[in-house]
Amino acid sequence: MFKSMSTHVLQHLIAQNTWACSLLQPFAGKSVRITIAPVSSDLVILEDGSLAVAGETNVPDACINIAPSLLLRLLAKDEAAKLQIEITGDTHLATALAKVFSHLRWDYEDDLSKLVGDVPANKIGSFARSSVQNLKDAGFNIASMLSEYWQEEKPMLAKKRHVDQFNSEVDRLRSDVERFEKRLQKLDKISDTKLNSSKANEIHMNEISPTPHNQVTDSAK
Amino acid sequence: MTTEQNTHFGFKTVAETEKAKKVAEVFHSVANKYDLMNDVMSAGLHRSWKRFAVSISGVSPGDKVLDIAGGSGDLSKLFAQKVGPEGQVILTDINASMLGVGRDRMLDAGLNVPAMQCDAEKLPFPDQYFDCVIVAFGLRNMTHKDKALAEMQRVLKVGGRLLVLEFSKVWQPLSKAYDVYSFKLLPLMGKLLAKDADSYQYLAESIRMHPDQETLKQMMVDAGLSKVDYYNLAAGVVALHKGYKT
Repeated sequence: MFKSMSTHVLQHLIAQNTWACSLLQPFAGKSVRITIAPVSSDLVILEDGSLAVAGETNVPDACINIAPSLLLRLLAKDEAAKLQIEITGDTHLATALAKVFSHLRWDYEDDLSKLVGDVPANKIGSFARSSVQNLKDAGFNIASMLSEYWQEEKPMLAKKRHVDQFNSEVDRLRSDVERFEKRLQKLDKISDTKLNSSKANEIHMNEISPTPHNQVTDSAK
Repeated sequence: MTTEQNTHFGFKTVAETEKAKKVAEVFHSVANKYDLMNDVMSAGLHRSWKRFAVSISGVSPGDKVLDIAGGSGDLSKLFAQKVGPEGQVILTDINASMLGVGRDRMLDAGLNVPAMQCDAEKLPFPDQYFDCVIVAFGLRNMTHKDKALAEMQRVLKVGGRLLVLEFSKVWQPLSKAYDVYSFKLLPLMGKLLAKDADSYQYLAESIRMHPDQETLKQMMVDAGLSKVDYYNLAAGVVALHKGYKT
């Protein structure tokens, strides 16, 4: 049931984005495993350039591994995060599929228009878009207001410049400690060398004058 | 034990020459109420399984499709819409009664789908002719499944796909409930709705005698298909196998 529904959704999205078919068609019959730990799913490219969920015994031609920590950055359209996606196997295939997914858009107004007609669908779409934008703006305003309050009125959060200053002081301290450690190691080495040479001298002295040494030992007894 | 001359007909062992005749009797008997019974037995799910098979086929406008054991023509109708006027769908069945139902339906729907009565083990088509061959709920009734699969492979173009939609081995924890349904409820429904308990008893038995998912996959590989994969539908009650001719 899940595979059937997922395939239906994928094919519907591809049908709305016809450019994706021509991009995927050269890879017909090939499959890709997408892993966002702990979930993974195999997708197969069909002969008409659409996508389907692969069967039970599919062997993927390429694997795309996305660390869960990258997911939010990818959703926020962070270009640097894309470089950290791990791709193995047929890289051309995986890159084409990644390109399709990053540009795939759901034309919900088109789907809605089949249910309620073109004009109401457009109105609902516009209303939904403006509502989402308003929500985003309101969220940003509240976040700014709270951060300002916790930084200025009731300091619970550190200001950026203070954090930067703290970070640079930590860096300086780390360098100082490393330098100090090196010096200590150097001093250790010097003292070891001196100790070894004095021991060697003592042994040498014992070898050339054994009698007085024995006498000293006897008197000590 | 099956010998060279004997084969299964449900749980019974019959002569190979008799099986086709007996299967024909079953389908002659159920032809008129075939769809009603399918809807009742599967709670309408057989339609979504068939739609899924079509969506997995990768068939595009202009393609040639062969529907084997197409019976009432559900799949031919869906494929005809998909291939468009420049494509071609051929509906075949060994059973004249079932084929008659399918042919009439195609005509009523205004679809130009030729209906041909033929044996899947001896397909009257040239080599490498079709982009897609599909057999839905028909393979288990065939006497020599290996021969039929080899024939389907023969008529496929290179890069063409064979799809086999068939009852299969259900997920183990559900097997007892499925047995009760198959051997108690199914014949009872057959008796009440189609006035034919024996045919539906055969249906339940033939499902049990049909190869499981992995065995059928291997049979398709042996028939010369590659990249064979399967989908379990409704916890394995039905499986859709797909293989490529390379």
